[in-house]
Amino acid sequence: MRTDYRRGDGVEKVTGQARYAADLALAGMLEGRFLLAGRPHARIRRIDTARAEALPGVHAVVTHADVPDRRYGNAVKDRFLFAKHFVLFEGDVVAAVAARDADIAAAAVALIEVDYEDLPPVTDAEAALAAGSDLVHAEWESYALGYDGIVRDRNDCAFVNIVKGDVAAGFAAAEEILEERYVCDMSHPVPIEPHAVVAQWAGDRVTIWTTTQVPFSARSGVAETLELPESSVRIIVPHLGGGFGGKCEFHFEAHVAALARKAGRPVRVVFNRHDEFVAPDKVNHPMSVELRTGITRDGTMTARSARVVMDTGAYASDAPSIAEIATMMAAGPYRIPNLNIEVHTVYTHKTPAGSVRAPSGPQIAWAVEQHTDEVGSRVGLDGYEVRKRNLLAAGDEGPTGQRMAAIAALECLEKANEMIASSRQEGEGVGLGCGWWFSFPSPSSVELKLNVDGSATIITGAQENGSGAVMGLALIAAEELGLDPARVSIVYQDTDAGTWDMGSSGSQTTFNNGRALISAAGELRKRLLDIASVKLEAAAEDLEIADGAVRVKGTPTRNISIADLASAAFGDGDLLVSRASATTIPMPDNFGATCAGRVVFPAFADPTFVCQAARVSVDERTGVVRVKEIAAAHDFGHVLNAPGALGQVEGGIVQSLGMGLTEGTQYSGGRQLNPHLLDYKLQTSADAPAINVEFVDVDGSSGPRGGKGVGEPPIIVAAAAVANAIHDATGARVRQLPMTPPRVWGALHEREGG
Amino acid sequence: MTALDYFEATDLKSARELLGRHPAAAILAGGTDLVVGSRSGKRALPDSIVAIHRVAELRGIEPQRRSGLRIGALASHAELETYEAVLRDWTALSDASALVGSPATRHLGTIGGNVCNASPAMEVGSPLIVFDARVELTSKRRKRTVPFAEFVTGPGRTSAEPGELLTAVILPPLTRRPPVGSAYIRLEYRQAMEIAVVGAAALVAVDGRGRCKFARIALTAVAPTCVRAEQAENMLAGQRLTDELIEAAARAAAESARPIDDVRASADYRREMVSVIVSRALSRAAGRAKGGTR
Repeated sequence: MRTDYRRGDGVEKVTGQARYAADLALAGMLEGRFLLAGRPHARIRRIDTARAEALPGVHAVVTHADVPDRRYGNAVKDRFLFAKHFVLFEGDVVAAVAARDADIAAAAVALIEVDYEDLPPVTDAEAALAAGSDLVHAEWESYALGYDGIVRDRNDCAFVNIVKGDVAAGFAAAEEILEERYVCDMSHPVPIEPHAVVAQWAGDRVTIWTTTQVPFSARSGVAETLELPESSVRIIVPHLGGGFGGKCEFHFEAHVAALARKAGRPVRVVFNRHDEFVAPDKVNHPMSVELRTGITRDGTMTARSARVVMDTGAYASDAPSIAEIATMMAAGPYRIPNLNIEVHTVYTHKTPAGSVRAPSGPQIAWAVEQHTDEVGSRVGLDGYEVRKRNLLAAGDEGPTGQRMAAIAALECLEKANEMIASSRQEGEGVGLGCGWWFSFPSPSSVELKLNVDGSATIITGAQENGSGAVMGLALIAAEELGLDPARVSIVYQDTDAGTWDMGSSGSQTTFNNGRALISAAGELRKRLLDIASVKLEAAAEDLEIADGAVRVKGTPTRNISIADLASAAFGDGDLLVSRASATTIPMPDNFGATCAGRVVFPAFADPTFVCQAARVSVDERTGVVRVKEIAAAHDFGHVLNAPGALGQVEGGIVQSLGMGLTEGTQYSGGRQLNPHLLDYKLQTSADAPAINVEFVDVDGSSGPRGGKGVGEPPIIVAAAAVANAIHDATGARVRQLPMTPPRVWGALHEREGG
Repeated sequence: MTALDYFEATDLKSARELLGRHPAAAILAGGTDLVVGSRSGKRALPDSIVAIHRVAELRGIEPQRRSGLRIGALASHAELETYEAVLRDWTALSDASALVGSPATRHLGTIGGNVCNASPAMEVGSPLIVFDARVELTSKRRKRTVPFAEFVTGPGRTSAEPGELLTAVILPPLTRRPPVGSAYIRLEYRQAMEIAVVGAAALVAVDGRGRCKFARIALTAVAPTCVRAEQAENMLAGQRLTDELIEAAARAAAESARPIDDVRASADYRREMVSVIVSRALSRAAGRAKGGTR
């Protein structure tokens, strides 16, 4: 495993040469700006754009009247590009302006007159579930659906459950039963680069440079909403400045395309930080998590019931698939034979939630892992012992019945526990968190070209969000073909170049595109060996590829360089090009459980496991928590790119600590109170703890070279481990996320009172 | 965010003249409030701006007669953080300067701008109060000095008149006998890029027998301006600085706070934290007076 690999886009990024979507400038380009609703719920009586259009320098104003009158949406087709009769959250786009410069665009936006009839907002997801509650979508029953099998009822736009075994019997067999409730605030992905979109038409075709993580979803979204063939839409992503899921799904590409079409000029829209907090339909779900678990005196969990209410905000977005994930997270990586888990995904008049890095994972794991410690303590077991007795192992049956292959959940627990125990200091607390996640099987394809000088080019539809997953493809190709990775270039994030790919979501890039690449490289490798076999007069099976050459095993002086082989092939009229696809690996069947609403995840394919341990100090007089160290042990199968995986783990941990301690959106009257970086507090480098990481190698994954998805698992359990460490240090249990100093302080007082 | 009129002063005279002609203009120094506030949509840039960042006379920190200090309005937080006399004698001010924003903010942001921005959460406010700082103002017509505590009148409000420019902050000499120590402590949720939820500055003079000759305490972010906590000060004067007395004074200081509920904390939490932060500031200041670590 190489540790010295330098990713291909690194130098240009750190030297400032890299260009992002907001850096683009096209001849004649206009600046665009959106008019956002600025109120959570209202009926639009009238929109008058005349004064805005009359402002000198304004080229176009676009509203719902300028685009096809159709609803779109990933799971539930519940929204319009531009608000039609109603605005349903403060970030709903009402209109857009294109003008000569950004100041004129902003002035024109202020001149658009909208006559609103304000209506009371639904802000409490639990209340929205009650019979007779106000409907967020009065016409919900008439909406078309993205897939079959979605279970909906009024404001509940995705209900999913797992019923396994006999829960009543399981609780009857328990010797202790604990019931708890945990509540999580909304949090945000906060990429440093906000959304930016540039659109330019040429005849009936539009090219859109955009900050998407999912170019092919963006393309189909534009095609669907503007009623164009996908072949008329080209999506290009310049360097992407992070996404963390906030740039998943189709967002604002069609709005800007509509603006550019009406203006007859290219148009650029760049979000400011306020709009980035308010408008993109991707936040971490606010949610409540109710858990009830039975355990025997020997520490065996016998049954769990759980009820999770996720606030999806104004639109369903990816609600059903995330609700499925949420059921799996509520079960946790444990061997609990009897389960009754239900998840409701509820409309409110808030910024919509969606698939932010490990959607639902950090919140539910934070609740479940505290609950695990509490359940264990009822029978006298510490956090390590109760996990050891209940974690999934090879051969066990998962929550929906999948049979576990070789997995390293227990090894991760042992490793993280051992790492943290050795560094514990006086007055500090330590805590553990265990979690699991999936690798997402999806079709993916790649083309690999060997150039006559022995360098190579990969053409892929995969999307680099900054994590390095696409950059890592160069390493895989180089290793398969015996090349220097610096001589492998990548053509990526252009929908007219690469074939369809799911994009940077679901931790899937390396898992799927990596498989395609290994198979494409395998074909080229075979052809190289065949040519070399003639040139070197040796049987192909006696040859090996190393250091840029094919050589006879055991006689390295008998060799021919890859460059000479590529030239020879070219001389013979042959191009060394191959294309290969990774087909979808079938999901594990679910058996032994009856489930409603499962549409995407019957189970967790090639699951990854993690245990992270936290060491913290707590200022008991203020409630301020400082995280000193996180020890992380991850089962990613076999790691393909160690520096890349390490970067993902470290970044995920710091992001998780933000969710755990300081990152939370406060709402009042349906509006965000802190949509800016002063009061939405990300962790800074000064806050980052010491992070020690171990990869536990395990065979058995169906991923490339036995690898599993890496991007999302690191964020899942650090906040949970910190919560348990706070309890270890103080005896106080914090049941609200984020665990801000006032909340920790409040919990310390409850501890003393109770 | 385009300003309609932008004027750049080259020296103090041209600054005075520009402000005389454009009394409603906003004054631009480091730009960390004005420009950042405008970009974030907090408030639009004003119609006219007089930029003073090139005015050499406003730079620098100079010792004054009888050991006071004159801090030019353009002195950056980074300069104050490391200036030897500030570190040694007006330590609370260097504590506070070191906490402002990020390294970038501290290199761009100026003490004059921080004072004139008049935020109740400004880090340097409470230290300036405990040191009895004065601010020096100049205009085409006159020059005057005003106690800092009277200069800031409310959130974002000062007693500067139209056309008036803050040229310096003056720190009067400190008493040498008995020795004094000072400290500024901020309650912070994270360890950089932070704004005070509660802050407190303390200055104490402690004689050789551990008796407090006098004490000054000021509170940050718990009232419309930074405020003194005189009742608490009076409890300490002439007394031995025991932990019990410090705690009692800190509890009394909380009585001087008029905190509000906002997105950062509830009023109740803030009030409780005042006594914690004040007691820590007092203990650290007393330790420094006795020659302990800074």
